[in-house]
Amino acid sequence: MTAIRRVLFNLFAWTVVLAVAFPLFWMIVTSVKPQSELFRRPPTFLPETVTFEHYWTLLTRTGFLDYFRNSVILSVATTLTVVAIATLGAYSLVRFRYRGRESLAFLVLFTYLLPSVVLIIPLYLMLVTLGVSNTIFSLVIAYTTFALPYALWLLRSFMAGIPEDLESAALVDGASRMGAFRDIILPQLLPGIISTALFTFILSWNEYLYALVLVNSDAARPLTTGVMSMLISAFNIEWSLLMAASVMMSVPLIVAFAFLQSYLTSGFGAGGVKG
Amino acid sequence: MADVEFRKVRKAWGAVVAVDDLDLAIEAGEFVSLLGPSGCGKTTTLRMLAGLDFPSAGEILIGGRRVNDLPPAQRDIAMVFQSYALYPHMTVAENIAYPLKKRGVPRGERGPRVAKVAEMLQLGPLLDRRPRQLSGGQQQRVALGRALVRDPRVFLLDEPLSNLDAKLRGHMRAELVELHRRLGRTMVYVTHDQLEAMTMSDRIAILEGGRLQQFAPPQAVYAAPANRFVAGFIGTPSMNLIDGELAAGPAGPEFRAPGLALAVGPLAAGTQPGPACLGLRPEHLSFGTGPLAGTVQLVEETGHEAIIAVTLGEGGPRLVGRSPAGLALRVGGQVRLALNGPAAHLFAPGPTGRRLNAPSPSGAVAAAAAGDQP
Repeated sequence: MTAIRRVLFNLFAWTVVLAVAFPLFWMIVTSVKPQSELFRRPPTFLPETVTFEHYWTLLTRTGFLDYFRNSVILSVATTLTVVAIATLGAYSLVRFRYRGRESLAFLVLFTYLLPSVVLIIPLYLMLVTLGVSNTIFSLVIAYTTFALPYALWLLRSFMAGIPEDLESAALVDGASRMGAFRDIILPQLLPGIISTALFTFILSWNEYLYALVLVNSDAARPLTTGVMSMLISAFNIEWSLLMAASVMMSVPLIVAFAFLQSYLTSGFGAGGVKG
Repeated sequence: MADVEFRKVRKAWGAVVAVDDLDLAIEAGEFVSLLGPSGCGKTTTLRMLAGLDFPSAGEILIGGRRVNDLPPAQRDIAMVFQSYALYPHMTVAENIAYPLKKRGVPRGERGPRVAKVAEMLQLGPLLDRRPRQLSGGQQQRVALGRALVRDPRVFLLDEPLSNLDAKLRGHMRAELVELHRRLGRTMVYVTHDQLEAMTMSDRIAILEGGRLQQFAPPQAVYAAPANRFVAGFIGTPSMNLIDGELAAGPAGPEFRAPGLALAVGPLAAGTQPGPACLGLRPEHLSFGTGPLAGTVQLVEETGHEAIIAVTLGEGGPRLVGRSPAGLALRVGGQVRLALNGPAAHLFAPGPTGRRLNAPSPSGAVAAAAAGDQP
């Protein structure tokens, strides 16, 4: 009886894994098939000949690297901005007492009540007025507006988990407020900061809608919209190039996850305070 | 000159008054406990002294210097927290060295000073560990080490022993007394445990409802409580408090309650007959013989003595007394008992009714009363 249940459970689990993994597998396979094999019927599951010509084409004959650079700059800048503001903001929301503190915390979530389509037009007009439209900087501002509230809430709960006594102890031991923040709070907050940074990075790396509306020049286009406009036209979709581009777009995220996963799971701050 | 001084200090959070009208002068080198039940304002008082909270009114002085607006770093204090508040990402050595680092002590000097403190507290083998790898008692010692590594003017201790088990607590209590004797520094110690306060302190400040009730040496607090709250708070089992009436008897003032009439000693000048409260410590009841009869309600044998609860007469007051072990008493049975009238305390009515006894001629109480106003 238990054996049957185990088999059934395993079967179910593997079905789910396959359903999730197959598109990724197909993406990789398609990207290394030669053009001739691409639309063959019946399809070949493992490519008969492996070729990296699509990757080469993408890197040398298209604007892929420019878009990639834009995306890196954009995501890193957004992540740094969001984490810096959210860390200080969360600190203020948790440690200082002032009127409307709770309401303020809820108010920032209001952004999520409105669909982004509603926010895009006013945001676009504002950015035009500021004279920064069509730049990476404008996207950094736009992404910050929707990543910041979530980051703030995430960090707020991490921050609330740090005992106030630790900071008081640092103050008594001779630290200034900023000193205590740097020496004590930041190291304790590291897992929170890393998960927030990862979340923000993924959000801005994959964002499409704002990038489509706010940026209209190749110099500032990130990967998402860049690859679309480059490889998909009304008449033709360059499948193998598109898949190669997708693989290369996924790599930074996979690398980031692989390195930071241990940080996310380790109980870094546990055990400092008894009680 | 007082080392630490509170002058008319008041702290309110909105409408809630945590500390009110506090006057306290702590001498240099004194060990003073702030004692009181939860929410009496003792921790707030300590945090104001540390600079973690700021008084709404009044003045706080450390070494004659007004520190109201000084941040904690500039007050020349060290503090041990109830939670120990060790920095989890630093080793024991780094934890102890942190106050030195923050005060700009050169790196080369820090090592020897940390080693000296570690030796004093037997932390040597633990210096490379992190706080979470230590037991509660070890964490407590590290917290102490972090306070001791500098030579601050005042040590503040916020219930440092409350997270330890009973045996270790007794041990650390003795260690702290020894430490205080060796350092000769002013220490302010917050606790809700009267045993700690009684055994360790030079003087005890008893707080209740944000107000100072009494500030005196332990024996004075015990022998001559300043008011009814202190009388009921200090002592285990606590003092018997009987509400009744003060009247003029044939041989001087007399206290009367249902089933009880007791001649009491000289009273403070200006005391009028009327409602009053009689306080009698359990050791001032004697069982076996005496003019009174009571019904035994409860007998608790502790080994060397018995704690006995009796009610006087029919529906009379319930009294708790101690008696040497070996007295054969049965719950529900009758017992003769006597009350030591001259040792009784009298208080004005109300939860913090003031003491009505005249200063007693007996040595201990006289000395105690003198200690009341140093």
